[in-house]
Amino acid sequence: MPSSIRILTAVPICDGHDSAINTINLEFIRHGIEVVYLGFHRYVGDIVRAAIQEDVTAIGISSYNGGHIEFFADVVRQLKKKGADNIAVFGGGGGTITHDDAREMKRKGVDQIFFAGTSLTEMADYVRRQYAKGGKRRASSKPDLALARKLSEIEDAAAKGRKHRTPNTECRTSKVIGFTGPGGAGKTTLIDEIVLRFLQRKPKTRIAILSHDPSVIGEGALLGDRAMMINSQDDRVFMRSMATRGQAGGLSPATESCLALLARSGFDYVIIETVGTGQEALPFRNNLVDQTVLVMNPDYGARLQLQKIVMLDVADIVVVNKTDLERAKAALSEIEQRLTQNKRKQQVVATVAKRHRDPGVDELFELITKAPSSRAKSRDPDA
Amino acid sequence: MSKLGAVVEAVEKHGLFVLEQVKGARSDEKFAHAVTERWNKIKAETPIAKAPTGLPLPRFALPEIDEPGEIARYLFGEGLPGEFPYLNGAYREMYLEPLREIETGSYGVRAGRAAKSPNGSSEAVAARVSRAKAPERPPLQEEPTRLFSGLMLAEDTNKRFHFLSAHQRSKRLSTAFDGPTLYGIDSDADGVFGKIGEGGVAVDTVEDMVRLYDGFELGAPNFSASMTISGPAPIIMAMYIAAAKRRFGPKVVPNLRGTIQADIFKEVQAQNETIFPTEASLRFLCDMIEWTTANMPRWYPVSISGYHIGEAGATPVQQAAYTLSNGFAYAEMLTARGVPVAQFAPRLSFFLDCGLDVEYIALARVSRKIWAIGMRDVFGANARGQMFKLHTQTSGRSLIAAEFKNNLTRTAAELMLAYMNGTNSCHSNSADEPFTTPSEEWIRLAAHGQAILLEESGIFKHTMNMLSGSPGMKAVERAVEKAILDEFREIESLGGVLAAVENRYQRSQIQNAAHRYEQQIYDGTRPIVGLNRYRNGADEMPEIELARTPRAKQKLQVERLKKFKKKNAEKSKRALDKLATVVERGENCFPALLEAVEVCSLGQITGRLQEIVGRFRPMV
Repeated sequence: MPSSIRILTAVPICDGHDSAINTINLEFIRHGIEVVYLGFHRYVGDIVRAAIQEDVTAIGISSYNGGHIEFFADVVRQLKKKGADNIAVFGGGGGTITHDDAREMKRKGVDQIFFAGTSLTEMADYVRRQYAKGGKRRASSKPDLALARKLSEIEDAAAKGRKHRTPNTECRTSKVIGFTGPGGAGKTTLIDEIVLRFLQRKPKTRIAILSHDPSVIGEGALLGDRAMMINSQDDRVFMRSMATRGQAGGLSPATESCLALLARSGFDYVIIETVGTGQEALPFRNNLVDQTVLVMNPDYGARLQLQKIVMLDVADIVVVNKTDLERAKAALSEIEQRLTQNKRKQQVVATVAKRHRDPGVDELFELITKAPSSRAKSRDPDA
Repeated sequence: MSKLGAVVEAVEKHGLFVLEQVKGARSDEKFAHAVTERWNKIKAETPIAKAPTGLPLPRFALPEIDEPGEIARYLFGEGLPGEFPYLNGAYREMYLEPLREIETGSYGVRAGRAAKSPNGSSEAVAARVSRAKAPERPPLQEEPTRLFSGLMLAEDTNKRFHFLSAHQRSKRLSTAFDGPTLYGIDSDADGVFGKIGEGGVAVDTVEDMVRLYDGFELGAPNFSASMTISGPAPIIMAMYIAAAKRRFGPKVVPNLRGTIQADIFKEVQAQNETIFPTEASLRFLCDMIEWTTANMPRWYPVSISGYHIGEAGATPVQQAAYTLSNGFAYAEMLTARGVPVAQFAPRLSFFLDCGLDVEYIALARVSRKIWAIGMRDVFGANARGQMFKLHTQTSGRSLIAAEFKNNLTRTAAELMLAYMNGTNSCHSNSADEPFTTPSEEWIRLAAHGQAILLEESGIFKHTMNMLSGSPGMKAVERAVEKAILDEFREIESLGGVLAAVENRYQRSQIQNAAHRYEQQIYDGTRPIVGLNRYRNGADEMPEIELARTPRAKQKLQVERLKKFKKKNAEKSKRALDKLATVVERGENCFPALLEAVEVCSLGQITGRLQEIVGRFRPMV
């Protein structure tokens, strides 16, 4: 039975109380729910945009810092404004939301408020009962909404074992860049920093991000990349989080078809991020992407380990991130030496993605935006 | 190796040193004699005073021991209250009632000093021991009560401050800020309306700061302000100084007393209220500490806080271990910058949570000991820099909404534990805290809880060490100390505190502990009265005086801010440019901040700094 419940959770602006939501997220996942977690200190606009792009059935908000009546109502209002009032809003705030508050919030369109003392199971059961996908939805003329729904159709079809469409790389209008590498190398941070540069330097460019998190078939997943992506919460960025739903190798069964759709939906760049991969992984096959970026951590272990990483043979760009770590120098020279075996023109970039305005990330950005797309008929609107 | 590894070694070495002293006292007659002589002298000179019933009691109680080895174990391993390693208290008399008439005994001139080096020969130590004088007569202590408050606009909080401190001889104010202020966002920013003045006071500009402490003598010796804010702390600190200067002139600065929380590590580990990337935040923090410790010798520029780590779900041992290791990491950073340890060490203070778990019987005691040994033996701090000065708050997390009046009992038990640990100041939570900003009725009950324990009851006011040293307490001490050192080793193996933070080690440990706690509540292995046992079913609610900020007030704050910005439009641009230059150059930015806050709002400064150093990237 494929997972068919997908919700988004978040903590409001100026509120860092994430202890409750972390525990609740874990409980939801255990009950087979896919949870896109947006993190704490989040604006209404970011929550609504993410909910639409991720095509969730409900938004769960955990609020402990007051101002909940206005905040929840604003979420409902903005959803409606964007034609997404099919997305339900629920939440809680321990004892900070009184019964009177809850009545007022419900009057303003909030679906449900959980009070202190509600068991985790009760909440998960409620979500499973109320927010399962289903029912016909109005067709939408809003582009994000329509695209998000199509992506869901592709995912649902893939879950039933059907391929939605044969990808045709010839129809692409976007340049597709694939980011892969082991877990903890800093792929998400790096992508977010690249997006920041697009937003700052290319005022017309639109970007899509397809990010992956691991999950087991029929079970829930925590899709948490968005929580770390502070720059990618922007109207020029369309981001979609996908669970791998049991597929090995770093991508989901629906990735190819979703990518095909995104690459001809008017974005200038599409960025795919795989889950953290092992040494043998080769996630991007069949011309899936135009440019591959392998992100590595200097702490890969002994030099011998490098021989086993097959992505090193095919990556166009190898990024060694976290080069502020002690081992970075040795790692860089070992990797450069390893690449000379390949006799291909591969670039090595040293970055410290966590640092603002890092020159290494600037260099990577140049490599991504300068290199022509081999197959796609993409154009750079800011070129 | 970071300094944390050296701290582990120092604590272990100190343990061995104590054992050597015990052995020495048993084998070396001269040493045994010196130890016994000092012991008898301490006992003979301990003042004895009468309880109201007429019962004579010593001002501090000592264990009934006369064997030199055991005396050495006590004096070197625990120390008298106010003596290294401060297990029994940072100061000699803490909560004791001021002495009216002395029955027998007397205070000497200067306090006895503990042995300085763990490597000293037993003879040298013996000589020092016998030279030691009787304790000096301690000064009158401030009341330890410090209540946290902050609501709506500055003038509203000001009114609450006057209400709370009306009958106290020392005015100790503790300030809570609203969400936008905690995140360095202006009240007129998009998306924060509704949050203005919620859960704390809204402060956008130096003018708000002036209003906030209006009517209080900021430079007076009986006044101290505490500000609970970390992410934008250097900016808020600068505003406080600027406000004080506006009211009392520049001469007030060295007399300012108080504390600003400013603890970045715990924000990243647990509380999530940080606005710049970790390294940049730490840099701004050290800029501020360097400046204030040089110019405001009575200010505590960082309150190294386990409270939020505990509230986020850490176990008591995790709380103490992360808090102490964060403290040692700050000491290491400041030392690396060249700030003398004698300048900064006495200005570091601590803030712990006190809940109901058994570890809390001794958590602060052990923390005091580890801090003292680490600061003395690894950082070379003097006695003032070895003292772990502690503010405690009872656990907010232990309070629940169901049958909320039980929270009074929970808080009372926690207060008892906090005072048994010799906390220097304390906040007791209001029973209605699970619902809202506490109302005056429940705040008064919480404050009176402290007065009942300290003033009404005889538990703490007659005798120091009243409850220290029971076999159970000692057992908890040993187990807690071992567990804390194990945590230190783990952090050290990850490359030290900063590296562990960036690998989200502390965060994930805290989250796991939080999850376990919730599970225990739901499976009943952690009993919570009114929730998973003895539930009466009828949940009562307190009569909530909704301390919510009316829309009109929120609008007023926005208007004031807009007016301030308009008035200073020209000047603020120049001040921000200057600040930016200093930051880009890598210089200490605090002097530039002091200038900037005169004409810029909090959000303007934060925004400009974020352009240079970036924004904080949350860790999940």
